[in-house]
Amino acid sequence: MNFLKQRMTTTLLVASLLLVFGSSPAAAADKKVVLVITADASDYILAAGGTIAKMLDAGAEGYLVRVTNDDKDSWDLTPEETARRTREESEQAAKILGFKEVESLGYRAGELGGVSPTELRDRILFYIRLYKPAVLFIPNPYAEYVEVLDRFYVGQAAEDARRAASLSNYQPPFAVVGLETHVTPELYYYAQPFDPRRREAESTATFVPQPKALDIASTFDKKLRAAQALKTINHSTAMRIKDRLESTDRRLPLLDEINEESVNRLVEINIHKLAEIAAKDTEHSQAEEFHYAGVEYQIPSKYLQ
Amino acid sequence: MKVFELITVLALAAMPAAAELPIADIPPGHTKTFLVIHPHHDDHSWDYGQAGLITKLVDAGWTGYYIRVSNDEKDGPHGYPHDDMVNLFEAREATENLGITDVISLNWRNDYMDAMPINEIRAQLILLIRKFRPGLVTSYLPWGHYDRNPDHRKVATAVGEAVWLASFANVHPEHRKLGLRPYRVPNKFYSQRFDYGKGYEPNVIVELSESNVRRKARSYWVHRNVRLSGSTGRRMRALLKEQGLEIPELEGLSDIEAHARMQEWSMYDAARKVGRENGVEYGEMFSRLGEWHPWPGLKDYLESNAVDQ
Ligand SMILES: [Zn+2]
Repeated sequence: MNFLKQRMTTTLLVASLLLVFGSSPAAAADKKVVLVITADASDYILAAGGTIAKMLDAGAEGYLVRVTNDDKDSWDLTPEETARRTREESEQAAKILGFKEVESLGYRAGELGGVSPTELRDRILFYIRLYKPAVLFIPNPYAEYVEVLDRFYVGQAAEDARRAASLSNYQPPFAVVGLETHVTPELYYYAQPFDPRRREAESTATFVPQPKALDIASTFDKKLRAAQALKTINHSTAMRIKDRLESTDRRLPLLDEINEESVNRLVEINIHKLAEIAAKDTEHSQAEEFHYAGVEYQIPSKYLQ
Repeated sequence: MKVFELITVLALAAMPAAAELPIADIPPGHTKTFLVIHPHHDDHSWDYGQAGLITKLVDAGWTGYYIRVSNDEKDGPHGYPHDDMVNLFEAREATENLGITDVISLNWRNDYMDAMPINEIRAQLILLIRKFRPGLVTSYLPWGHYDRNPDHRKVATAVGEAVWLASFANVHPEHRKLGLRPYRVPNKFYSQRFDYGKGYEPNVIVELSESNVRRKARSYWVHRNVRLSGSTGRRMRALLKEQGLEIPELEGLSDIEAHARMQEWSMYDAARKVGRENGVEYGEMFSRLGEWHPWPGLKDYLESNAVDQ
């Protein structure tokens, strides 16, 4: 890219960002839109549910795009029945957090490694241009040790979609049907705490996403209730833990009987601990951790001056 | 001594040594079966191979299977089919030396793996995981970066997907027809060229005895097709001679034997380096994912509240 072109691109980016943040009456009247992309029904709740609920509580309008159908995560249910139940339960959970709509793209869980990344990107790009979010939450594709690799594929596609959504040469037909380019100013990368280096920025420069911990005390209960609404997945987790313990001649007294009460208690222990892990060494008592790329990380400081 | 040199020396002296990694015990294997899953015939024994861990598991009474995903047709001087056959033969000899029970070769085309659907390689691994129900799987790190070998990247990802999905009954439900039930692998020991690129976080070392290293060192050069060459042995000795040096241990050995001996020393050096950095004599480094890894919020609770039946 030559210097002039680079300067023009930067000027355009700054202009677009100013438009989004601009103080025109029309912009102020519009509701701030939060778009959340998730691979599966549970990941975004466990990693980011409290923060999202807080934004929606404050008046933002929330849309959830759930990429897979979660058809694998059950115990003794067919894939079809699992998909049906998790769809219903994920919609209930999203409602508890305050989402306005949930879109389920229906990809089979665990099969995203075989899906074209471009296809996945363009499916997500569609929703970015449709909803024109001010804030986007995506799975962090750079988080290591996240065994559910669907989250990696979705994170990678979503990050690419955010960039491509702002450039008119991607998906020209979308423009024909009224889906104009859109720059999403704020980006939150979320992940459950698997990566031991999650509190380090990917680089020391200020131009990349930075670690950020946010207080979720006020929405903790909503997050917990949303997580508990995922009954099929939670039952599967409880059964898988019990199965492992039994096969090694151990037991967990809590799971001697697996019923709604014991499974809900297990979820509660999990949600409490996750909030504690994220709050460690911060000023908060219950938190969530992100890598955050706000407007200040997208424009090099030399241009802002 | 100039002032800034003094400051540098003082600063270095004040710097704490790099933290030593904790030593991982062999897990209390329930099934006492383990799988070593690698793209190539020789990935078990080199600087970043897991042969030390393999021999430790075997010594502790475990049964191991080596799954070779590729056909290794590119590795060696003989051309496609010949190299494939020789390398498989030597993989059997080298892993037998480590105490491995069998080599299962999946025969995917070596260095053509980018075009292969990950789901197809993964499907074979899930079947084998459900068949053997391993208490431990060792392979390359699925989150590894900077590995320039495309087979290493592809197989590591396939292993990552297979150990994740093998525990879900709705993944390959046809396996039930064979009586193969879903199974979650409780212990994963991943290795990687940890000094190759930035950002690696090995979290344990496995302490090795001289006997572990000896077997690893032999299994390294047993891959004669790719690891031993008389001309290299001859050249090394000539170089030493030019500099007026000689190594008494190499006296009386053929050029090939001398090369094998030097290869063994390189394996000892690699194990000694990891050991030295971690307060033991010999070691191997791993990223270990333990029994409750999928549930970081439940790990502490499960560890302190699970009781014997
Ligand atoms: Zn290799």
